[in-house]
Amino acid sequence: MSIAAWICLLAPLAGALAITLLGELVPRRIAGLVATGSVAIAFAAAVVLFVTVLGRDGEERQELTTAWNWLSVGDLDVGLSLLVDPLSIMMALIVAGVGSLIVAYSIGYMAGDDEERRFFAYMALFVFSMLLLVLAGNFLILLAGWGLVGLSSYLLIGFHHERPSAIAAAKKAFIMNAVGDATMALAFFLLVYETGTLDFVTAFERVDGLSSTVVNLVALGLLGGAVAKSAQIPLHTWLPDAMEGPTPVSALIHAATMVTAGVYLIVRAHPLFEAAPSVQDLAAGLGAVTIVVAGLIALVQTDIKRVIAYSTMSQIGYMFLAAGIGAYANGMFHLMTHAFFKALLFLAAGVVIHALVGEQDMRKMGGLRRLMPRTWIAMLIGGLALVGLPPLSGFFSKDSILASALATGDTYGYVLFAAGLFGALLTGIYTFRMLFIVFTGEPSGFVREHLHTEHGEGPRWMTAPVAVLAALAVVGGAVQIAGIWHPLADFLDSIVAVDRESLALVEPTVTQDWVTSILAVGAGLLGIGVAWLIYGARRVAAPRMVALRNPLERKLYFDELYQTVFYYPAVGIARGWTRFVEGPLIGGSISGVAGATRGLGRGVGQAQTGFLRTYALAIAAGLAVLAMVFVSVR
Amino acid sequence: MGNVIVWIVWLAALFGCIGSGVAVVSMTNPFYSAIALIGNLGSLAVFFLLLQAEFVAAAQVLVYAGAVMVMFLFVIAYLGGQADAPWAGGSSWQRWAAVIAASALLLEIIMVIGLKAGGRLSDEAEVREAFGSPGDIGRLFLTDHLLAFEITSIVLLVAAIGGVVLGAHSRHGEPRYEGPAGVPVSRERTLPPEPVAATPHDASGAGVPG
Amino acid sequence: MNGPDVTWYLAVAGVLFATGALGVLLRRSPLIVLLSLEIMLNGANLALIAFARQQGDLDGQIFALAVMAVAASEVVVGLGLIVAMARRRLVLDVDELTTLRG
Repeated sequence: MSIAAWICLLAPLAGALAITLLGELVPRRIAGLVATGSVAIAFAAAVVLFVTVLGRDGEERQELTTAWNWLSVGDLDVGLSLLVDPLSIMMALIVAGVGSLIVAYSIGYMAGDDEERRFFAYMALFVFSMLLLVLAGNFLILLAGWGLVGLSSYLLIGFHHERPSAIAAAKKAFIMNAVGDATMALAFFLLVYETGTLDFVTAFERVDGLSSTVVNLVALGLLGGAVAKSAQIPLHTWLPDAMEGPTPVSALIHAATMVTAGVYLIVRAHPLFEAAPSVQDLAAGLGAVTIVVAGLIALVQTDIKRVIAYSTMSQIGYMFLAAGIGAYANGMFHLMTHAFFKALLFLAAGVVIHALVGEQDMRKMGGLRRLMPRTWIAMLIGGLALVGLPPLSGFFSKDSILASALATGDTYGYVLFAAGLFGALLTGIYTFRMLFIVFTGEPSGFVREHLHTEHGEGPRWMTAPVAVLAALAVVGGAVQIAGIWHPLADFLDSIVAVDRESLALVEPTVTQDWVTSILAVGAGLLGIGVAWLIYGARRVAAPRMVALRNPLERKLYFDELYQTVFYYPAVGIARGWTRFVEGPLIGGSISGVAGATRGLGRGVGQAQTGFLRTYALAIAAGLAVLAMVFVSVR
Repeated sequence: MGNVIVWIVWLAALFGCIGSGVAVVSMTNPFYSAIALIGNLGSLAVFFLLLQAEFVAAAQVLVYAGAVMVMFLFVIAYLGGQADAPWAGGSSWQRWAAVIAASALLLEIIMVIGLKAGGRLSDEAEVREAFGSPGDIGRLFLTDHLLAFEITSIVLLVAAIGGVVLGAHSRHGEPRYEGPAGVPVSRERTLPPEPVAATPHDASGAGVPG
Repeated sequence: MNGPDVTWYLAVAGVLFATGALGVLLRRSPLIVLLSLEIMLNGANLALIAFARQQGDLDGQIFALAVMAVAASEVVVGLGLIVAMARRRLVLDVDELTTLRG
């Protein structure tokens, strides 16, 4: 089993290296195929792992393989170790599976780009980083994967480096992620200091012995990293800007995989979080807030990719909510289905963008339903799955989360439930707003001018993955049907450090499941109806609500807030230091030393009169003085 | 009787020495200064003889008075009018400081002698007859002080080369020195026009030691 | 020894030295300066020879001979400089030759 794990991890890295080293020697198409192939190999390896693990039971399902011991200090032993257990296998399957589809899609999407090879190298690098993250056996390797994923994200967001907006977005993403990385690193320092280990298994065993302050701090640090990586409030402002990257990047990194790393972290480190219940509640609360806020902001977006981005933020809020209340399996379930339908939405939107030669503004689109019927179907499927209508996958996953919220039984849980329900309503509105604007009505002037569908709606490389993802979005929910069968939950029951019978902290009753489903579906349908009224049938004009609309269009002023709180003071301090310290003190001291030396030299140089007699006089006078000294000393 | 003669000789040499020394320093005409120096050297040779340094006295007359001073006289003749410079000048503080410095030196020397250098100046060694003879000097030069002997020869060689280099004709003729930019060269003196082409380009002149 | 003892010779040497020093410091013609320098050297020579006689050690005379040789070399170079300066029509006045002014 360990060999498969190593193959899974290293295949994409080999692919990235191959593309990098071969450079211009291989045609561009080959680079794309190498990347896709390497990720596909990783997926195959993950399947092998999955099948192997299915054949085992309980503790047998966890295996830790260590390549070599890197750091051995005192009690601390850290090595390159991979942990294979149901959770990591599940993540690996998602990452490699959806990843291979998206990389294949990129072959079509990025065809003709000048720097195609670089793109595929970065994509393969990203898949490797993500796999490193999920297969990590200790916190250090996880941190390494974390950082590498951030790097790949930076490289891919800023892929079109001639665009200043792309560069700025890449920097913003990286810096905000760095904030999270910092809190995580601090948490790890504390963890090492208190428990003496970074290994998952050992650390989790020693959690009980820690004081509550320490556990809270460590969990808080981890939460900081998760919030930054998963673009939850308050570290979310980078995600909409990250849409500057090419669409496959948005699909892979900012929908299906990287942004879900935060959820993975919480589920993986659940013993820590369970020992710090206030932090766990905080996680759930942040998730709920994000659900609502992101949903509201998505209502007024005009860029098709930004709508989907905010939707991603909102859905990850659901996952955080689930992880926060202890419904880990449900959260992971939603992670999986979300990967399917969100990637589907992004890729289908990419088909639209590709057909409209790069235009992303929804207001210029319209009436594409008849012109691009297959894409319309695909996006419709994705949209319905997102809203959570049965029997599509989103229905099962989202409602299970809401039901778990209800099942917690306390007021906080009810508040979370209400937030999730409101979020479902909003999801219906903004998703179908997008669909109706883009696809219904009459084709706009722009569309008539620029639409290129001579060769079908898109190249085969693009349409095939979309079709596969659509199929997955439809049937993906069958893995876990609340109250009937739950193989996924059973599967995840045997992950590392689960002492109890089942992983979940809460289990909703059948009644709660039904109530939740009816309410959630109802909210979704209501949202679709509202969207239909305003955008589909155009019977009701969109409400002006300027007082509400302006803040939403300015994304609730988060960017302005961060600029005022962090950027301006930092710049002011830097400028102050330059003017008052660096200039006068440091520069001044150096030039002062130089000036003093020069002045001293000039002064001493006055003695060089050039007059021979002065020199001779000096010698004679000196001699006289010396002689006097010698005589008197004797 | 012999003692009186020694004293008389000593006193004569003394007057010659000091007198010519003052003459060297105070004469305006360099030619006269050079002649005075020859006189000084001669007096010193007498002193050396009195101190039983025969070889050194001979060397003094031969080398110093014979070769070095002749060289001086050649150069003075070559320079002709150019060699005249006003007696003194410059800032007065410098003159007074010079006098004071020289007086101080003299005073110190007298003081030291007066103090008899810790009493060690009173004994005199008994010397043999051959003290200061060329044989003794030669033996020392070739045994104890061989290194000094050789190094001195090298110094002389270097000086000879330097003399030749300094005195050689440059390939493009002598450049006329204009002085540093902006600074006028004052009191530039030119030679009086030569009737014949006896311009100072002869190879003889400076630099060949005896 | 007959005649004055060592201290008298030393006094003469000192006077010679001081006279030469005065000449070096006060005269403006480089030629006269060189001559004064010679006087100073001779003063030193006299002191050396006197001490050699007093100690009974010939090393002093050796030293004086070496001084003589070095003085000759120095005169060679000095005169060469003066001739070179004269060739370039420079004023032979130490107060005017101030190119090395710092």
